[in-house]
Amino acid sequence: MASTRDIRRRIKSVKNTRQITKAMELVAASKMKKAQAAALAGRAYAELMAQMLGALADRVEESQHAFLAKREVRTRGIILITSDKGLCGPLNTNVFKLVTEIKTPAKYAVIGRKGAQFIARTHRDLLADFPANDRTSFADIKVVAEFMVKQFLEGHVDTVEVIWPRFRNTLTQVPTLMPLLPLSSVKDVLADLRSDAGLTAPAAPAAENQMLFEPDAASVLDALLPLYVNREVYQHALDAKASEHSARMVAMKTAKDNATKLLGDLTLEYNKARQAGITQEILEIAAAQYAA
Amino acid sequence: MPLTLEIVTPEARVYSDTIDTVVIPTTTGEVGILPGHIPLLTQVEHGELRVTKGNVTTWLAVSGGFAEVEGDRVHVLAEHAITEEKIDEHAVEAALKRAEDELKAAKDIDPQQYEHLQTLIRYSGTQLAVKRRRR
Repeated sequence: MASTRDIRRRIKSVKNTRQITKAMELVAASKMKKAQAAALAGRAYAELMAQMLGALADRVEESQHAFLAKREVRTRGIILITSDKGLCGPLNTNVFKLVTEIKTPAKYAVIGRKGAQFIARTHRDLLADFPANDRTSFADIKVVAEFMVKQFLEGHVDTVEVIWPRFRNTLTQVPTLMPLLPLSSVKDVLADLRSDAGLTAPAAPAAENQMLFEPDAASVLDALLPLYVNREVYQHALDAKASEHSARMVAMKTAKDNATKLLGDLTLEYNKARQAGITQEILEIAAAQYAA
Repeated sequence: MPLTLEIVTPEARVYSDTIDTVVIPTTTGEVGILPGHIPLLTQVEHGELRVTKGNVTTWLAVSGGFAEVEGDRVHVLAEHAITEEKIDEHAVEAALKRAEDELKAAKDIDPQQYEHLQTLIRYSGTQLAVKRRRR
């Protein structure tokens, strides 16, 4: 049996760990609330926009805008959204699993240090990495989105896709891949996402194929399409942030509960060892008296 | 057949209802939408958006974005939007003043910030116009 001093030392260290994880849980919980609110508020906008674009893809000629052109996919362009910090359970690992399933050649732009490390470690083609601060600002994300769009327009990559841990609820985050460009691929994915989020699918679009653009198609598309890409990536970044804080809170809660349980076991063991020690001493004293 | 109107901003869903007609401010002037409109995609300008339902007309202040008409559904994606009764005149005036001061104070301000302030000022102006038109 371990000596009482060893057990006492372990109890102390477990107690410290519990205190830290408890504090981290509380911090994550408060950040989570904000992040979730931000992600959920923006969802309606992003979804409506994606839906609008999906309908649009049917109605315009591919030649009308560079974003609509379907090319032979040789290299996929993927924006990978992860967290900067660890200690958030299996969140990042699950996302990386999705990445390893991609067998076609792909180039990556990564938000978050964890993702950048993973891409570098597995010798994938990392184009650029960006930090993922706690305050996800539209301006920061715009830089990432515009970088990837530039790669797309210059022909370095033939698609723009996003992989991020999609926030479903506090306990579940689903790693998801969503294509952004070219637009024609958006529609198929959209239906899945919507049914998953528990939203009703809109009625089938009207049969007429004409669509009126004002002032004209080119200028509307020029304004709408870049905004669409920026907004979608921003929404996914917010979503990833909500996922991160949720995952961290859950992970920290589990760690705290484990520490509490371990503490109970250790205390029991310590008391047993202490009692055994006392019994031993009494026995020795009694034996000595008896002998005298 | 009534129209379904949805006005959504990045912050929230501002308006969602079945309506009779809506007049949207666009870059090419005001566009009135009645049931049976052909599919339309247009750019929304800063301005006043009018919604008529029965005999009631609701006013909203909107700033830049897009509007889509498809079948009997009208979607408006705006940077900002607010219904008339929610506009707080004093708060808007204060915000307007702050933005103008900031614009004056800063000499070499970065273009993004400049654009943001401009949007804020124009949107504040629209809000005030909507609020005051009743008097």
